[in-house]
Amino acid sequence: MRLSDFKNQSLEELASKFDISPNNKALKKFVEMGGLPSKKSEAYRYFDVESLLDGEYESLDYTQKVITEGEEIVIENGVIISAPQGLRIYYESCEQIDNNHFDPLYYLSHALYPRTIKIEVDGDAELKIVHRFTKSYAIINYRIVLFNQANRHSTIYEHFEGELVQNSLVMYGYDMHIAQDSSFRVVKVQTMQNQNYSMLASHKINIARQASCMFKSFDLGGDHALQLLKIELDEHAHIDAQHLLYLNAEAKRGTVSQIIHKRQNSTSNQEAKNILDGASRGIFDALIKVEHSAKYTKAIQNSKAILLHEKAYMVSKPQLEIYIDELEASHGSTTGQLDPQQLFYLQSRGIPAVEARKMLVIAFANTMMETIRDSRHQELIRNEFDKVFYSKEN
Amino acid sequence: MITLDIQNLEAKIGDKQILKGLNLQLEEGKVHAIMGPNGAGKSTLSKAIVGHYDIEVLGGDILFKGKSIKDMEPEERAKEGIFLSFQNPVEIPGVNNAYFLRTALNAKRVHEGKEELNAAQFLRLMKGHLEELGMKPDMISRSLNEGFSGGEKKRNEILQMLILEPEVIILDEIDSGLDIDALRAVSEGINKMKDGKRSFLVITHYSRILDYIEPDYIHVLKDGQIVKTAGAELVAQLEEEGYDSIVNEQ
Repeated sequence: MRLSDFKNQSLEELASKFDISPNNKALKKFVEMGGLPSKKSEAYRYFDVESLLDGEYESLDYTQKVITEGEEIVIENGVIISAPQGLRIYYESCEQIDNNHFDPLYYLSHALYPRTIKIEVDGDAELKIVHRFTKSYAIINYRIVLFNQANRHSTIYEHFEGELVQNSLVMYGYDMHIAQDSSFRVVKVQTMQNQNYSMLASHKINIARQASCMFKSFDLGGDHALQLLKIELDEHAHIDAQHLLYLNAEAKRGTVSQIIHKRQNSTSNQEAKNILDGASRGIFDALIKVEHSAKYTKAIQNSKAILLHEKAYMVSKPQLEIYIDELEASHGSTTGQLDPQQLFYLQSRGIPAVEARKMLVIAFANTMMETIRDSRHQELIRNEFDKVFYSKEN
Repeated sequence: MITLDIQNLEAKIGDKQILKGLNLQLEEGKVHAIMGPNGAGKSTLSKAIVGHYDIEVLGGDILFKGKSIKDMEPEERAKEGIFLSFQNPVEIPGVNNAYFLRTALNAKRVHEGKEELNAAQFLRLMKGHLEELGMKPDMISRSLNEGFSGGEKKRNEILQMLILEPEVIILDEIDSGLDIDALRAVSEGINKMKDGKRSFLVITHYSRILDYIEPDYIHVLKDGQIVKTAGAELVAQLEEEGYDSIVNEQ
């Protein structure tokens, strides 16, 4: 399968090739948006999506398997193979596809994976989702729908494992529905290294009235990866989105996002910290939109990048689109090198320059890692960061 | 015995030459105070001794116990035993104060051929010094200088000095921004280090700190050179007559 073969095809032609109904809502939206994205597409302007779509991939069979009991949810090549006992997890067609997502691949992904993995998070749960990939030269495409319950407080830890995933394209994503008066925390840790795989993660997060969502991504591995987030906030809803990115060699990774304040008194805080080495490219292309109906919004957006090599390049594009006067909003972006005064201070106490440099990079990342409340998980993320950072440095 | 011997030192920052043939010798176990008007080159001198990147040495030499340190990296000078207490210590969010100090101490101990301290051994050492300086225990876990008051930053400099046990201690405007209580605590920490072996170079605008740290020598720095050296009695003269009178005597 070569996705680029589906360029400039009509709805009927695509429906026939994919063997799905031309009335499929996701497929219709995909065609309406102009089909496959190119470098001219807004969402992929700074990301070489065309070379990924041009790859020859094996199509996978997503036949359901018997789900064994385990401590964590394991999704292997788009199929659930293990889950904790008592968890409501099943396959179902997705009824609540976003009507206006900015990413055409969000719709293609839905069209090609019509029976989504649905997870209903009961009570005050803490779950771990492991995405496991064992297929090389494959397109691995799946969608997950997550629901929680009102007045409940849940946490999802998301991890990735890749045994054999060379030259594969992973397209996955969530449609999350955060219920009223609840809080929902998602901590994503992506550390798969040197596999020459690519990942496009297109998410939609709806945050209901007086609910709060924390979405923290620690993106520490992979050659080409983009997470595309669309977040909608209802009245008094809050999102805290934090992204830590570490890149080296010729990796291209980052975040493209839209946070939309739909109703009044909603708040958002988005922060990106980017550490770029080698000839890598980091992307933070993030829009906060405050609609007419969202009076008394508070929105903060900030991106900081440290370039460790002269060939490293950061695209940082924080944007505000505001239609009201009654709000507090700020955004900012800085890109620079390590602070020479800080470096000198450490050296003046006897710490060698190489060690001081590492200390400052880890310190930059630490301010985000230390916001993880669970100490075991915080330690795990620190270890993963040390592993990828020191393996490169040494 | 001369610990630090600065010979005909010339140095510039950017395009501007600041030090113009400066000569200064620090004696073992003595407190030397450098005083001088704004722009005389006091801070440039301290930065030149520790190897700050802003400074370009144009000529002369700096000898530490007879060995030239002029071309050494800053960390090598620190490990040899030279310590600068900064006028405005930089904040480093994300670097834990205790972790930073243990790394620094162990780098020095390895340089000296000693065994590294483990975390428990180091914490015992640090806690003891925190109590002496009247510092809060949360200094162990806080990020290096982040959100510290002016007094806390200066006390943290002294804490580092107590732990690293350097042989030449340069105190750049250590009294600036300190209230009386903080000044007293900082001075006590410094005086505790006076053991007849260590040399001190106290850089100051005002004589107030010298009420607490009694100097053996006063050097007046003007236009990049030492223009007068005398005993502690010079402080009173400077207080009464100002720097111009000293310069005009020359």
